This record gives sequence, structure tokens and C-alpha cells, in this order.
Amino acid sequence: MEQNPVIHIDRLTKVYTVNERDAGLIAAMRSLVKRKTRDVNAVDAISFSVAEGEIVGFLGPNGAGKTTTLKMLSGLLHPTGGRATVLGYRPWERNRDYLRRMTLVMGQRNQLLWDIPVVDTFELHRAVYRIPEAQYRPAVEELTELLELESLLQKPTRNLSLGERMKCEIATALLHRPSVLFLDEPTIGLDVTMQRRIRRFITDYNQRTGATVLLTSHYMADVEALCKRVIVIHHGKLLYDGELTGLADRVAPFKTVEVKLQNGLNDRPLAQYGELIAQSEGRITLRIPKDDTASVTGRLLAELDVADLTVQDPPIEDVIEHVFSQSPDPSVAPDSQHANGD
Amino acid sequence: MFAYYPIYRGYFRTSLMLMFQYRIAMLIWLLGGIIEPLMYLVIWRTVSLQQGGSVGSYSTNDFVVYFIAMMMVSHGTFTWIMWEYVYRIRMGQFSVMLLKPIHPIHSDIADNIGYKFLTLTVMGPTVLLLAWFFDASWQPAFWTLAAFVPVLILAFLMRFYWEWSLAMVAFWTLRIDAMNQAYIVVTLFFSGKLAPLTLFPEIVQRAADLLPFRWMLYFPVEVLLGRVTPRDLLIGLGAQLFWLLAGYLVMQLIYRAGIKRYAAFGA
Amino acid sequence: MFYIRLFATYLRIGILGELEYRANFWISLVQSALDLCVALGGLAVVFNHTDTLGGWRQEELLALVGVYFLIGGLIRTIIRPSMTKFMDDVRQGTLDFTLTKPADSQVLVSIQSIEIWRLVDVLIALPVLGIALLRLGARLGLLDTAVFAVTLLSGALIIYSFWLMLSTCAFWFVKVENIQVIFMSMWQAGRWPVSIYPAWLRAVLTFLVPVAFATTVPASAVSGRITDASLVGTVALAVAMLLVSRWFWRVGIRFYSGASA
Repeated sequence: MEQNPVIHIDRLTKVYTVNERDAGLIAAMRSLVKRKTRDVNAVDAISFSVAEGEIVGFLGPNGAGKTTTLKMLSGLLHPTGGRATVLGYRPWERNRDYLRRMTLVMGQRNQLLWDIPVVDTFELHRAVYRIPEAQYRPAVEELTELLELESLLQKPTRNLSLGERMKCEIATALLHRPSVLFLDEPTIGLDVTMQRRIRRFITDYNQRTGATVLLTSHYMADVEALCKRVIVIHHGKLLYDGELTGLADRVAPFKTVEVKLQNGLNDRPLAQYGELIAQSEGRITLRIPKDDTASVTGRLLAELDVADLTVQDPPIEDVIEHVFSQSPDPSVAPDSQHANGD
Repeated sequence: MFAYYPIYRGYFRTSLMLMFQYRIAMLIWLLGGIIEPLMYLVIWRTVSLQQGGSVGSYSTNDFVVYFIAMMMVSHGTFTWIMWEYVYRIRMGQFSVMLLKPIHPIHSDIADNIGYKFLTLTVMGPTVLLLAWFFDASWQPAFWTLAAFVPVLILAFLMRFYWEWSLAMVAFWTLRIDAMNQAYIVVTLFFSGKLAPLTLFPEIVQRAADLLPFRWMLYFPVEVLLGRVTPRDLLIGLGAQLFWLLAGYLVMQLIYRAGIKRYAAFGA
Repeated sequence: MFYIRLFATYLRIGILGELEYRANFWISLVQSALDLCVALGGLAVVFNHTDTLGGWRQEELLALVGVYFLIGGLIRTIIRPSMTKFMDDVRQGTLDFTLTKPADSQVLVSIQSIEIWRLVDVLIALPVLGIALLRLGARLGLLDTAVFAVTLLSGALIIYSFWLMLSTCAFWFVKVENIQVIFMSMWQAGRWPVSIYPAWLRAVLTFLVPVAFATTVPASAVSGRITDASLVGTVALAVAMLLVSRWFWRVGIRFYSGASA
């Protein structure tokens, strides 16, 4: 995997200088003359590599530095320090050949031209990327088929629903067949069906072209469906890089035990077994340390009238939430949340 | 009336703060308001000098004073609301304004007045500088100077209500550029911005009498220059009050219809 | 060649987009007609009271109005809409899409939005210019025509570079689109020959906001009053401003990507 990574970043750092201003008119006037500034480490010495054909989930709460990292990798931002290469290029040099081989999709922003049919945005994209006819036609056909765009292409963007627009956004961004995809929240705001379709498409595209994908999402379903590997950052620092399944073990070594009791709860002291997460009508859910799983379940079975008992890994959402609530960052002031690159 | 005082104070505060943030934009609008009258000042001054020192009843100095006064009155009464509304509706800001338990025109008036006070710091020196540069001499009569204050306030309100009403057209169409421009052109000819109205052909002058525009700009300028008789002043005040009332009623009507439409169609 | 094809694509899209809003044609027509009213009305009122203005006769000023509309049409058709879109893009973060494109960002930004109906200004400019020339009784020789074309092109480039520099400021300041308002109000000063303005204002209109080069200079070329010095100066300035605006654009991009900040 580390033989010849497509994306390789080494202690990549981005420091923003933000203007600070106190509330109030006097402060507003003072800021005319002199501005107070403060440095915020949006991305703090992050290193990782992504191999060709991988789909990697890039996770972290708002302001963690995900977007800033993606912007550096797509050449929009210069890092303050560290190194990065993508496909052998340094992204921020914005080499034309590099730009032709990668794409950036931002779920919250769109590049489709508002008043004209989608297919004309395609045409424009073709002109800008100098896509030869022989490559353009099949690309359009393939994307049209995969994303089910036939009925949409002739409509002006403004007449499309949010989900349709996103499909077309993605299609536009992939017309030039990029081999590296940076997807920033590609499913944000879409309904579940549409999210699923876009996920399936990303997998398809990845399998067909062997493209490398780095993706951020707030929807764990996206991450679970697409990414074997995840990278978690928080306050600009790398917290975890590895298998999605390992994340739970590493940062939240808990299991969830759901127990159904035969004769109701009868006010038994349940707290002795573990942390009580939910309880309803004779059904309780406990969170117990992973290492105690065997002993606790043994005790449960021995001491209670158990009708049914299941042991599960905690849902990934819970794990993530756990990570971010349990790891206060020592180096950054707590109010630095707003200084993100979004 | 006084119930609005704390609300207006609050608006002033926030609008002043916003303006500090957007200080560049603030200066830009201001500069625009200086350039246009300055251009016509220069042209008419040139014409007057060429014609041996006067055109019609205006001496070279009169032209200078006229356009400097026009600059002040125009600055004092102008609004940017006709451009703002499209943006507001498109960006959904208007919905937020509707949620507030007060008519949105108040925050606009407060904004505008706040801006005017702030920009006085630039406008004042500019006027003095131009007066010095063009060697303007101006001897106002005390009573016209006193009358100028209510006349200017009426002109401001009149313009505000009318332009606010026109801004409401944005509820029906967001493509209002042509209308806004037509409005500007019409004011240019009938408000005395291009030249003192007495220099226009008779027919333009008569038309100007019947339209609201001269009472927004030309009349306050004349008052400031002392070029009115007491009778003119009373007629003018009457016309201003009439157009203010009409503007108020039109604004109410259009606003209600606009809200209804906004509620029905959204943005 | 690539950029010409790109321009053609944008032009096509411009036409398509504007066809969606056919009413825009009428709106533009009304707007241009109104502009013409202001220009001609202003001339009429002024020349009702005098025969010449700062040494310019009415026909010569009419030619100036023609040039004013020609360049104004160019600004309104391409420069202003493209720069407006650019500033919107900076504010909304969609400029990122432009910057990830494998083409020169300055070119992309400069031609990205074309309001085709604004060419009405050009259509109005031509007869005005024609009438002015007829009334001047001028016979334009080949050389005069060439000089006129060169000054016109230089003027257009100067105006473009100037707009680009103004717009580039959007990287540092919010709400610079208001600069357009100020430019357009300065621009109207170009309806009159800059020679009538007092020296300081003439300097402003020549060097701070290069309105004079785009209007007065070509108009003086067509009415045969241009000096060699101002011809050479205009061409030199056009080249210089093109280079400076290019440099400034790069600085802006570097700032935007946090390279030099």
C-alpha cells in the first residue's frame, strides 16, 4: 500500500491569521486603526498517504480542518508548512496537468450555470478541460447512465431539485475522468434515497476507473458504505488513521449489550453491570468496557431472567461522537471553533 | 412617535457598526454622490464663463453654489433601497425582516440616517473644499436658511417613501434594473440635477411642476440658495406635504400587496 | 486558439442564457435608450445656451457620445458581468471551482459571463458615431481610421485592466462590487471631454480612473484633434496597465491561497 501512494502528505500545516474584534462600537472604531490578530492552527502537522484506488473517509467535526486539508490538496490553499504530493505534483503549484487529473466537489456550493441547461455546462467544462470529442461522448453517456441523468440534461439548473442538481454537479466534475476525487460533503442536504444513489455511484466510479477518493461527510452511512479506511482529525490534529472497524476498538473500546428480561425490570439495580443507555418495557441497553464483555454478560445471564441478549459494536455515530467529546485538545483554545476553513 | 426612539437607537448602533465593517462601500457610494453634481457644476461653469459670466438668471457663481447645494441635498435625501430590495428578497433576508415585530421601513430609515451622519465627516469637508476651490460666495437669507431644515426633512421622507414603494416592485420581478435606471433618468431631467430647471424649455418646466421630483431636490436647493419668495416657500411646502402623503399611501398599498404576493410565491 | 474557442463557448452560453430571459432584450433596449436620452438631452440643454464647450463643437461631442456608448457597451456586455460574477464567486467560495480549472484563471474570470443584449449599446453607438461624422463633414482616411481603431482598442484594454484591478481587490475586501457603482458614476464624466474639467479632476479622470483614455482620446482621434504624444501615450499606457493588472491578479490569487499572507 505504501509503495507508490497517490496522495502523500507529510506534516502538512495551515495556520490562519484571524482578525479579532470585541463587540461594541468603540471596538469597531478601534479596529479601523489597528486590528488584533491571532493565529489559529487549522491543520496541525498532519501526515498520511492514500494508495491508488482507495476510498478514504476523512472525518472530524466542523472546524476540524477537513475542508482546509482538501483545499490544500486541490491546490486552492498554500500550506504554512509541511509537504504534500498528489499524483506526484505539488497541488498548490496548480500545474495544469495536475488540475486536469483531479476534481473537487463541494456539496455546499455549485458550479452549474444557473440559467442554462445542464448539458451546456457540460460543454463549457469540455472546452475548459479540452476534452476530445472521442472521450467526451462516452464520458457523458456513461455518467448519464450511471447517475440516471437523461431527463435532466436539457433542463436549466434552476429547475432541478437539490438532489438532481447534486447528481449533475458530480457528473460535471467527473467529465474529464479525473483519477483523484476530493469530495467535500457530497451528500449534504440530500434525502436518504439520493444519498444512497450517490454512494453507489461513487463506488461504481471507483471500481470502473480505479480512481482515488478522499471524502468528507457528516453522514456515517456514507462512510460505512464507502470507506474501509478512515482518517479522523480534530482541532487540526490527526487522531486516527486506519480501518473503520478498528476505530471503535481504538477510541471507544465499548460494546453495547441489549438485554430483554422475562419479567420486566422489577427495580433491579442495573448500574452495577454497566452504563445504562436506554431502557424501555423490559428491554435495557448497557454500555460496557470491551474487556469486560465476557464477564458482564456472564453475570447478566446468571443473575437476571434473560429472555434475549445481544452484544454489538456501538454505532459508528456514537463512536465518533465519543471521540470528539472525550478529546479536548490541549494546544488550542476552546473558542477556536469558528476559525475553520469552511 | 417616541415609542420608536429606543428602536431607532438600536438600529443606529448596529447600522453604524455595519458601516465600519463595510467602510469601503460607504466611501464608494459617497464618491458617486460627489462626482455627478461636480460634473454638471464644471460643465455649466464652463458654459457660463464662455457666455460672458451668466446663463439665464444664473451667474457663474450661482452655478457653482447651485451644484454644491445640489450635492448636499442629493446626499441628504438619497436612498439605496431600490437596489437593496432585490438582494434582500433573493437572499431571503426579507423573510427575517418580516419576522420582526416592526415595519421594515424603520430599520431602513435608521440605516440611512446613520449613514448620512457618518458620511457628513466626508461630505462637509468636500463641500468646503469645492466652495473654496471654485471660489463660491453664498449669502443666504436667515428665513430661508431656517426654512431649509423642514424642507430638507420633508424632501428626505418624500423620497424615502416613494423610492421604498418603487423598491417593492421587487416582489413582482427581480429584474428591476431598467426601472431603476428610468427612475434615475427621469429624476435627472425633472429634479434639476442636470441643470437648474429654469434653463430647460418651458414644457419641461411645466412637467416638472406636476411631478414629485423637483420637490425632492430642486426646491430644497432653491430654498437653501434663497432663490424663493415666501409664497414660493409655502407652495413648495404644500407640494412636499402632498407628495409625502401620497407616497405614504402608495407605500402602504404596494407593501400590503407585495407582502401578499411574497407570502403566496416566496422569493 | 484554445482561449478563442473558450470565449466562443462562453459567448454561446451567454446567448443561451439570455434567450431564457428574452425580456432582457427589451430591458436593455430601454436602458440604452434612456442612456442615450441622458447623453443627448444633456448635450441639447447645454448647447441650447452655448455654441462650443471647452472648444468642442456639438458634432464633436456627438462623436464623443458615440465612443462613450461603444466602450460602455463593451463594459456592460463582458467586463462588468464577468467581474460581478467573479466577486460573487469570491464571496460564496465558488471561485474555488474556477481555480481548479486547467486554464488561465484571469482569462476564465474575465470572459465567464456575457450579457449579449448589452450589445444594444454598440448598436446605438454606431449610428450616433455615423451621424456625428457626417455632420463633421469628415472624410476618414485609412490612417485616421487606423489611429481611431488603435486608440479605441487601447482604450478598451485600459478600461479592462482597470476593472480587473478593481475587482481583484475583492480578495481583500468584502463588498467591493460597490466599486462598480463608483466606476459607472465616474464613467459618465467621460461623456464630456476631459479638457473642460479643472486640472485635478482631469488628473483623476486620466490617471486614477482612466476614463479619458477610453472616451476623449478616441473621440479626438475621430475629430482629428489627437496629438502624436497622446496617441503614443495611450498605447503605452494600455500595455503597461495590461501588465500591471496581470501582476496584481497574481498577487491576489497568491493572497487568496494564503501563499504570501
